[in-house]
Amino acid sequence: MAEGMIDAARMIVGDMESVVSVSLKEMDAVEDLMARIEAALIEVDKGDGALVLVDAFGASPFNASARLAMNRKNIEVITGMNLPMLLELAVQREGQDLKAVTKIALEAGTTSIRTLSQTLKSD
Amino acid sequence: MPVIHVRMDNRLIHGQILVSWNSAFKIEHIIVTNDRVASDPLQVTLLKAVAPLTAKVSVLSIKDCVAYCKSPEAEKENIFIIAKFPEDGFALVEEGLNMPELNLGNQAFVRGSKKISNTVFLTESGVKALKSLHERGLRVTCRMMPSDADTDYWPTLEKALPEWAK
Repeated sequence: MAEGMIDAARMIVGDMESVVSVSLKEMDAVEDLMARIEAALIEVDKGDGALVLVDAFGASPFNASARLAMNRKNIEVITGMNLPMLLELAVQREGQDLKAVTKIALEAGTTSIRTLSQTLKSD
Repeated sequence: MPVIHVRMDNRLIHGQILVSWNSAFKIEHIIVTNDRVASDPLQVTLLKAVAPLTAKVSVLSIKDCVAYCKSPEAEKENIFIIAKFPEDGFALVEEGLNMPELNLGNQAFVRGSKKISNTVFLTESGVKALKSLHERGLRVTCRMMPSDADTDYWPTLEKALPEWAK
Protein backbone atom coordinates (compact mmCIF):
# COMPACT_ATOMS: atom_id res chain seq x y z
CA MET A 1 0.00 0.00 0.00
CA ALA A 2 2.75 2.48 0.96
CA GLU A 3 4.67 1.77 -2.21
CA GLY A 4 1.54 2.28 -4.30
CA MET A 5 0.86 5.55 -2.54
CA ILE A 6 4.32 6.86 -3.43
CA ASP A 7 3.92 5.67 -7.04
CA ALA A 8 0.62 7.51 -7.31
CA ALA A 9 2.08 10.67 -5.78
CA ARG A 10 5.08 10.55 -8.08
CA MET A 11 2.79 10.66 -11.11
CA ILE A 12 1.38 13.94 -9.85
CA VAL A 13 4.31 15.77 -8.27
CA GLY A 14 7.35 13.93 -9.59
CA ASP A 15 10.12 12.42 -7.51
CA MET A 16 10.04 13.23 -3.81
CA GLU A 17 13.20 13.50 -1.79
CA SER A 18 13.54 11.82 1.59
CA VAL A 19 10.32 9.87 1.20
CA VAL A 20 10.55 6.12 1.57
CA SER A 21 7.97 3.38 1.87
CA VAL A 22 7.92 0.46 4.26
CA SER A 23 5.30 -2.23 3.78
CA LEU A 24 3.89 -4.76 6.22
CA LYS A 25 4.19 -8.33 5.05
CA GLU A 26 1.87 -11.06 6.16
CA MET A 27 4.61 -12.96 7.98
CA ASP A 28 6.11 -9.94 9.76
CA ALA A 29 6.44 -9.70 13.50
CA VAL A 30 5.96 -6.17 14.80
CA GLU A 31 9.65 -6.22 15.69
CA ASP A 32 10.60 -6.97 12.04
CA LEU A 33 8.51 -4.07 10.89
CA MET A 34 10.07 -1.85 13.57
CA ALA A 35 13.53 -2.68 12.30
CA ARG A 36 12.59 -1.70 8.74
CA ILE A 37 10.89 1.51 9.83
CA GLU A 38 13.88 2.40 11.97
CA ALA A 39 16.21 1.93 8.98
CA ALA A 40 13.91 4.19 6.96
CA LEU A 41 13.90 6.83 9.71
CA ILE A 42 17.69 6.82 9.81
CA GLU A 43 17.70 7.24 6.04
CA VAL A 44 15.34 10.23 5.88
CA ASP A 45 15.92 12.02 9.19
CA LYS A 46 18.58 14.64 8.61
CA GLY A 47 18.29 15.84 12.19
CA ASP A 48 15.00 17.74 12.06
CA GLY A 49 12.87 14.69 12.63
CA ALA A 50 10.51 12.68 10.47
CA LEU A 51 6.79 12.15 9.99
CA VAL A 52 5.49 8.60 9.61
CA LEU A 53 2.26 8.18 7.63
CA VAL A 54 0.37 4.98 8.43
CA ASP A 55 -3.01 3.56 7.43
CA ALA A 56 -5.05 2.73 10.51
CA PHE A 57 -4.78 3.66 14.17
CA GLY A 58 -4.00 0.54 16.21
CA ALA A 59 -2.97 -1.55 13.21
CA SER A 60 0.52 -3.11 13.10
CA PRO A 61 2.23 -0.34 11.05
CA PHE A 62 0.94 2.20 13.56
CA ASN A 63 1.95 0.06 16.54
CA ALA A 64 5.46 -0.44 15.20
CA SER A 65 5.91 3.26 14.36
CA ALA A 66 4.52 4.34 17.70
CA ARG A 67 6.92 2.13 19.63
CA LEU A 68 9.83 3.71 17.74
CA ALA A 69 8.48 7.24 18.07
CA MET A 70 8.12 6.85 21.82
CA ASN A 71 11.82 6.00 22.03
CA ARG A 72 13.22 8.59 19.62
CA LYS A 73 13.17 12.34 19.44
CA ASN A 74 11.27 14.28 16.81
CA ILE A 75 9.22 11.52 15.28
CA GLU A 76 5.49 12.02 14.74
CA VAL A 77 3.05 9.37 13.54
CA ILE A 78 -0.11 10.26 11.64
CA THR A 79 -2.90 7.80 10.80
CA GLY A 80 -5.43 7.74 7.98
CA MET A 81 -2.76 8.19 5.33
CA ASN A 82 -4.26 9.24 2.02
CA LEU A 83 -3.02 10.56 -1.30
CA PRO A 84 -4.01 14.22 -0.77
CA MET A 85 -2.11 14.14 2.54
CA LEU A 86 1.02 12.89 0.84
CA LEU A 87 0.70 15.33 -2.07
CA GLU A 88 0.29 18.33 0.18
CA LEU A 89 3.35 17.25 2.16
CA ALA A 90 5.32 16.86 -1.05
CA VAL A 91 4.69 20.42 -2.14
CA GLN A 92 4.58 22.23 1.21
CA ARG A 93 7.04 20.63 3.62
CA GLU A 94 10.22 22.37 2.41
CA GLY A 95 11.72 24.54 5.15
CA GLN A 96 9.07 23.67 7.74
CA ASP A 97 9.66 22.02 11.10
CA LEU A 98 8.06 18.75 12.16
CA LYS A 99 5.19 20.45 13.97
CA ALA A 100 4.26 22.53 10.95
CA VAL A 101 4.61 19.59 8.60
CA THR A 102 2.34 17.50 10.82
CA LYS A 103 -0.29 20.25 10.74
CA ILE A 104 -0.15 20.34 6.94
CA ALA A 105 -0.66 16.57 6.78
CA LEU A 106 -3.51 16.58 9.28
CA GLU A 107 -5.38 19.35 7.48
CA ALA A 108 -4.84 17.98 4.00
CA GLY A 109 -5.78 14.48 5.10
CA THR A 110 -9.02 15.44 6.77
CA THR A 111 -10.29 18.25 4.50
CA SER A 112 -9.75 16.12 1.40
CA ILE A 113 -12.45 13.69 2.40
CA ARG A 114 -15.72 14.81 0.87
CA THR A 115 -18.54 13.60 -1.36
CA LEU A 116 -19.59 14.75 -4.78
CA SER A 117 -23.06 15.82 -3.66
CA GLN A 118 -21.63 17.83 -0.79
CA THR A 119 -19.28 19.57 -3.22
CA LEU A 120 -22.01 20.38 -5.75
CA LYS A 121 -24.34 21.67 -3.07
CA SER A 122 -21.83 24.14 -1.68
CA ASP A 123 -21.30 25.75 -5.09
CA MET B 1 -18.66 -17.48 30.63
CA PRO B 2 -16.52 -14.38 31.09
CA VAL B 3 -13.63 -15.41 28.83
CA ILE B 4 -15.12 -15.62 25.37
CA HIS B 5 -11.97 -16.22 23.37
CA VAL B 6 -8.26 -16.90 23.80
CA ARG B 7 -6.02 -15.99 20.89
CA MET B 8 -2.28 -16.50 20.61
CA ASP B 9 -1.09 -13.68 18.37
CA ASN B 10 2.34 -12.14 18.50
CA ARG B 11 1.08 -8.90 16.96
CA LEU B 12 -1.07 -8.48 20.08
CA ILE B 13 -3.71 -5.80 19.50
CA HIS B 14 -3.75 -4.88 15.81
CA GLY B 15 -6.07 -4.28 12.86
CA GLN B 16 -7.66 -7.76 12.71
CA ILE B 17 -8.53 -7.60 16.40
CA LEU B 18 -9.81 -4.04 16.43
CA VAL B 19 -11.98 -4.47 13.35
CA SER B 20 -12.97 -8.09 12.71
CA TRP B 21 -12.89 -9.73 16.14
CA ASN B 22 -14.22 -6.70 17.92
CA SER B 23 -17.25 -6.56 15.65
CA ALA B 24 -17.88 -10.33 15.82
CA PHE B 25 -17.94 -10.47 19.62
CA LYS B 26 -19.24 -8.04 22.16
CA ILE B 27 -15.77 -7.59 23.65
CA GLU B 28 -15.78 -5.55 26.84
CA HIS B 29 -12.30 -6.25 28.10
CA ILE B 30 -9.19 -7.15 26.12
CA ILE B 31 -6.49 -8.70 28.27
CA VAL B 32 -3.08 -8.90 26.65
CA THR B 33 -1.01 -11.42 28.52
CA ASN B 34 2.70 -12.15 28.33
CA ASP B 35 5.16 -11.67 31.18
CA ARG B 36 7.66 -9.67 29.13
CA VAL B 37 5.11 -7.37 27.54
CA ALA B 38 3.47 -6.74 30.90
CA SER B 39 6.78 -5.54 32.34
CA ASP B 40 7.53 -3.16 29.45
CA PRO B 41 5.92 0.20 30.35
CA LEU B 42 6.19 1.53 26.80
CA GLN B 43 4.28 -1.38 25.31
CA VAL B 44 1.70 -1.25 28.09
CA THR B 45 1.08 2.46 27.40
CA LEU B 46 0.70 1.87 23.69
CA LEU B 47 -1.57 -1.16 24.03
CA LYS B 48 -3.89 0.81 26.31
CA ALA B 49 -3.87 3.70 23.84
CA VAL B 50 -5.16 1.56 20.99
CA ALA B 51 -8.14 0.24 22.96
CA PRO B 52 -11.36 0.25 20.96
CA LEU B 53 -13.98 2.72 22.23
CA THR B 54 -16.18 -0.08 23.56
CA ALA B 55 -13.60 -2.13 25.46
CA LYS B 56 -10.98 -1.58 28.11
CA VAL B 57 -7.49 -2.99 27.77
CA SER B 58 -5.35 -4.57 30.48
CA VAL B 59 -1.84 -5.87 30.06
CA LEU B 60 -1.14 -8.55 32.64
CA SER B 61 1.35 -11.27 33.46
CA ILE B 62 0.05 -14.81 32.90
CA LYS B 63 -0.47 -15.27 36.63
CA ASP B 64 -2.34 -12.00 37.05
CA CYS B 65 -4.43 -12.69 33.97
CA VAL B 66 -5.68 -16.02 35.29
CA ALA B 67 -6.22 -14.60 38.77
CA TYR B 68 -8.29 -11.79 37.29
CA CYS B 69 -10.33 -14.15 35.10
CA LYS B 70 -11.22 -16.19 38.19
CA SER B 71 -12.27 -13.10 40.14
CA PRO B 72 -15.94 -12.12 40.60
CA GLU B 73 -15.26 -8.92 38.68
CA ALA B 74 -14.52 -10.92 35.55
CA GLU B 75 -17.90 -12.67 35.72
CA LYS B 76 -19.59 -9.47 34.57
CA GLU B 77 -17.45 -8.96 31.46
CA ASN B 78 -16.92 -10.45 28.03
CA ILE B 79 -13.17 -10.98 28.07
CA PHE B 80 -11.01 -11.50 24.99
CA ILE B 81 -7.54 -12.75 25.88
CA ILE B 82 -4.56 -12.19 23.62
CA ALA B 83 -1.50 -14.22 24.56
CA LYS B 84 1.67 -13.60 22.61
CA PHE B 85 2.99 -17.11 22.01
CA PRO B 86 1.73 -20.72 22.22
CA GLU B 87 3.82 -21.05 25.40
CA ASP B 88 1.69 -18.28 26.92
CA GLY B 89 -1.46 -20.15 25.93
CA PHE B 90 -0.15 -23.26 27.64
CA ALA B 91 0.89 -21.28 30.72
CA LEU B 92 -2.64 -19.86 31.01
CA VAL B 93 -4.07 -23.38 31.11
CA GLU B 94 -1.35 -24.55 33.53
CA GLU B 95 -2.23 -21.64 35.78
CA GLY B 96 -5.83 -22.84 35.81
CA LEU B 97 -7.67 -20.96 33.10
CA ASN B 98 -10.63 -22.97 31.93
CA MET B 99 -11.05 -22.81 28.15
CA PRO B 100 -12.28 -25.36 25.62
CA GLU B 101 -10.50 -23.74 22.67
CA LEU B 102 -7.32 -21.77 22.08
CA ASN B 103 -6.92 -20.02 18.78
CA LEU B 104 -3.64 -19.55 17.01
CA GLY B 105 -3.51 -16.19 15.26
CA ASN B 106 -0.46 -14.56 13.72
CA GLN B 107 2.81 -16.20 14.70
CA ALA B 108 5.57 -14.42 12.84
CA PHE B 109 8.93 -15.92 12.03
CA VAL B 110 11.30 -15.97 14.99
CA ARG B 111 14.72 -17.54 15.18
CA GLY B 112 14.48 -21.33 14.98
CA SER B 113 10.89 -21.36 13.82
CA LYS B 114 9.49 -23.29 10.87
CA LYS B 115 6.84 -22.20 8.45
CA ILE B 116 3.38 -23.77 8.47
CA SER B 117 1.70 -21.04 6.44
CA ASN B 118 2.32 -17.39 5.52
CA THR B 119 1.03 -16.28 8.89
CA VAL B 120 2.10 -19.13 11.16
CA PHE B 121 5.71 -19.96 12.04
CA LEU B 122 6.32 -22.13 15.08
CA THR B 123 9.33 -23.01 17.20
CA GLU B 124 9.84 -26.46 18.65
CA SER B 125 8.87 -25.24 22.08
CA GLY B 126 5.74 -23.62 20.60
CA VAL B 127 4.73 -26.91 18.98
CA LYS B 128 5.34 -28.74 22.28
CA ALA B 129 3.13 -26.24 24.07
CA LEU B 130 0.33 -26.78 21.55
CA LYS B 131 0.83 -30.53 21.82
CA SER B 132 0.35 -30.37 25.58
CA LEU B 133 -2.87 -28.41 25.04
CA HIS B 134 -4.04 -30.97 22.50
CA GLU B 135 -3.21 -33.84 24.88
CA ARG B 136 -5.24 -32.21 27.60
CA GLY B 137 -8.24 -32.43 25.31
CA LEU B 138 -8.30 -28.77 24.39
CA ARG B 139 -8.94 -27.79 20.83
CA VAL B 140 -6.27 -25.74 19.13
CA THR B 141 -7.67 -23.80 16.18
CA CYS B 142 -6.04 -21.47 13.67
CA ARG B 143 -8.41 -18.68 12.73
CA MET B 144 -7.13 -15.35 11.46
CA MET B 145 -10.69 -14.09 11.07
CA PRO B 146 -13.80 -14.89 13.12
CA SER B 147 -15.39 -16.32 9.95
CA ASP B 148 -12.63 -18.94 9.56
CA ALA B 149 -13.66 -22.49 10.44
CA ASP B 150 -12.97 -23.53 14.04
CA THR B 151 -11.63 -26.93 13.02
CA ASP B 152 -8.97 -28.71 15.05
CA TYR B 153 -5.56 -27.51 13.86
CA TRP B 154 -3.51 -30.21 15.54
CA PRO B 155 -3.68 -32.74 12.62
CA THR B 156 -2.33 -30.03 10.30
CA LEU B 157 0.51 -29.29 12.70
CA GLU B 158 1.31 -32.94 13.16
CA LYS B 159 1.54 -33.36 9.40
CA ALA B 160 3.56 -30.19 8.81
CA LEU B 161 6.11 -30.68 11.59
CA PRO B 162 6.13 -34.43 12.38
CA GLU B 163 9.57 -34.36 14.03
CA TRP B 164 8.45 -31.71 16.57
CA ALA B 165 4.92 -33.04 17.03
CA LYS B 166 6.12 -36.49 18.15
